[in-house]
Amino acid sequence: MIRKEAISIIVEKMSNQPIISANGLISRDLFDTCDRNSNFYMIGSMGLASSIGLGVALKKTKKKIFVFDGDGNILMNLGSLITIGMTKPKNLVHVIFDNSSHESTGGQPTATNKIRLSKIAKSANYKVFQVKTKNQLVKIFQKIKFIPGPIMVIVKIEKGEVISKRINIEPSKIKNRFMGSLKK
Amino acid sequence: MKELTQRQMFDYLFNNGIENFIGVPDSTMKYFIEQGFKKNKILITTREEEAIGIAVGMTLSQSSSLVFMQNAGFANSLSTITSLVQLYKIPVIFLIGWRGFLKNDAPEHTKIGKIQPKLLHALSLQSKILNEKNWRISCDWALTLLKEKKSCALILKRDFID
Repeated sequence: MIRKEAISIIVEKMSNQPIISANGLISRDLFDTCDRNSNFYMIGSMGLASSIGLGVALKKTKKKIFVFDGDGNILMNLGSLITIGMTKPKNLVHVIFDNSSHESTGGQPTATNKIRLSKIAKSANYKVFQVKTKNQLVKIFQKIKFIPGPIMVIVKIEKGEVISKRINIEPSKIKNRFMGSLKK
Repeated sequence: MKELTQRQMFDYLFNNGIENFIGVPDSTMKYFIEQGFKKNKILITTREEEAIGIAVGMTLSQSSSLVFMQNAGFANSLSTITSLVQLYKIPVIFLIGWRGFLKNDAPEHTKIGKIQPKLLHALSLQSKILNEKNWRISCDWALTLLKEKKSCALILKRDFID
């Protein structure tokens, strides 16, 4: 399974829940697969998608907030797991698309094949699920509907050859439509 | 800034609509943070960038935020300010300590203390330096900018050596 397939499977089952997506190919894949007002494409500020997601989750407690993160992104901001674990937002689902590489910058290796991110997240009060196949992914997203967060879903993906198009929406427009969708 | 003034400043900002105070502690603003803890309104993060990310998420949810940090942390935050706060035009108030303001401050603060005004200028981040007399007017200025969807910085000098 490549990232774009995984994203497509997840968003297909979602209604209008907010997604904060990490910079690089993750946001591009999400944009290309399913552009919606409730997507916040974080195109800069490497590593901070989960922090933005936490801020939204703490304020919009009646909505389930999704973060689409990468292994490279979360490794840059591991402190975010500490703050999420401390504040324990029940409505936060943190998805890590893990290909053990910085695919957006040329496929350089990350450490997720040598360290256990799942263990770190568990010590930080997350409920952690790991999936490798499309079937498992579908089942897990059914299951977590009924489980309070913070939840981490680590989706093991292969490096893909598909490069999605760039996001062609102005950042302030991305913000405005995202804010509008949060009001509903 | 005196203990009482710091406490009054926290109360003033809180009573005028700032709902979230997020950041990494600085001894320069110790009493400001302590006052916030009394009201259960402080969130301490591991890094300044993280604090800005959380503040942005809260602001997107229509809840106004202030991010506090040392000036060492301000240096950590430059990329986040340019590529998140300014890129998306998301209004946040920064409260930044100014160590290295006194010439005999500890050596690790000297360089950053010296270039801090230039960094703020280079970022085009509007700022005001707080003192015992102007803090209320400066807070009003920051609150007005926030309503106009603009970010700004309030600078708190470290005018003592311990």
